[in-house]
Amino acid sequence: MMSAVYLKGKTVINPDENPEHVSPVKSYNAVFAGLLVLTGLTYAVSYMSLGAASLLVAMIVAVIKASLVCAYFMHLKYDNRYHVFVFVGTILFVAIFFGFTIYDITSRGKINDEQETFARLRDQAAAGEPLKVGVHNHPNPQVLQESMEKHHAKPEQESMPKSP
Amino acid sequence: MSHQAHASASSHEHSPYVAHHFDTMGQQASAAKLGMWLFLATEILMFSGLFLAYFICRMFYPEMVLEAHEYLNKTMGGINTVVLITSSYTMALAVRSAQVSNTPALKKYLLATLACAATFMVVKYFEYTAKFEHGMYPGMYYEAHLHGYDIQGLPHIFFGIYFIMTGLHGVHVLVGMGVMIWIYVRASRNEFSSKNYTAVENTGLYWHLVDLVWIFLFPLLYLVK
Repeated sequence: MMSAVYLKGKTVINPDENPEHVSPVKSYNAVFAGLLVLTGLTYAVSYMSLGAASLLVAMIVAVIKASLVCAYFMHLKYDNRYHVFVFVGTILFVAIFFGFTIYDITSRGKINDEQETFARLRDQAAAGEPLKVGVHNHPNPQVLQESMEKHHAKPEQESMPKSP
Repeated sequence: MSHQAHASASSHEHSPYVAHHFDTMGQQASAAKLGMWLFLATEILMFSGLFLAYFICRMFYPEMVLEAHEYLNKTMGGINTVVLITSSYTMALAVRSAQVSNTPALKKYLLATLACAATFMVVKYFEYTAKFEHGMYPGMYYEAHLHGYDIQGLPHIFFGIYFIMTGLHGVHVLVGMGVMIWIYVRASRNEFSSKNYTAVENTGLYWHLVDLVWIFLFPLLYLVK
């Protein structure tokens, strides 16, 4: 005589059996083929000159690929809905993270100009000497000398104009 | 009433795989997967920090990112993408084999996934050594300008982001390979069946996340245009 097991108010018939969905191999094959096609599409789109839209298109294709992997390979489509909620919640927090940080950092330009935060660098760039790798921008000449010796930087080469 | 339940419980066969604090197998499997999904959530958030750094770099230095990324090998990146997608496919089939108690197929697909992962790391090794030969090291160790590569702006920032993102991803691949080897050993001991395959499924979830991260890494780092 089995002790009754209840779930959500209803009796469970076989509590020891795993009711999880087993996907047919065909569905995995179809998703695999779709992912390969979308990868080719990503590659092809990068060679078209779409300008500013290329990032958006590439991200949309990546999101479609990610949805296929999540829904079918990771079984989210057939799983307990709560797992989908956890995943979507994560994406929501990533969106909040990106949104607020990018909003903040794009408003720094105006504040920097008002408060002259990077005045020295701004004047240098205006005078035609922007920050370059290999050029040591330290204002203290002794520190500059030491670090240039340490990294074998040759000052004559760096002051040469860059070839286009 | 509780005495009755206790007396009848002794004659009820519990599956040895259902722990006593769970009522049904489905509840246990669901709880195990929920734990894994919560871990995957932390992994997504960890990588999102690096992705944000990349997006900010690209926002402020678009020409530098466009020029510096040309030195990355798109063919190798493309090969790695196909290899990882294949490994995700074989991993999904491995989980399915465990679900239908097919241990030989499970072992075969685990080995296939491991082979794809190893291929990924080998291609990554060639990519990295090619960069190092040209002096393209991350951040403060960057010295490609001393090897004749004159990239406008501050390319050491781009290469810092590139190496950290792909490096952290590579560490995840290695850890995944280690976990898969352990699951293979357990499968060789015939531990997995349709009644007990949660460990394989959770390994699969982790591996699919590794693939997901690469799906986003590839177009952002290699195909900037």
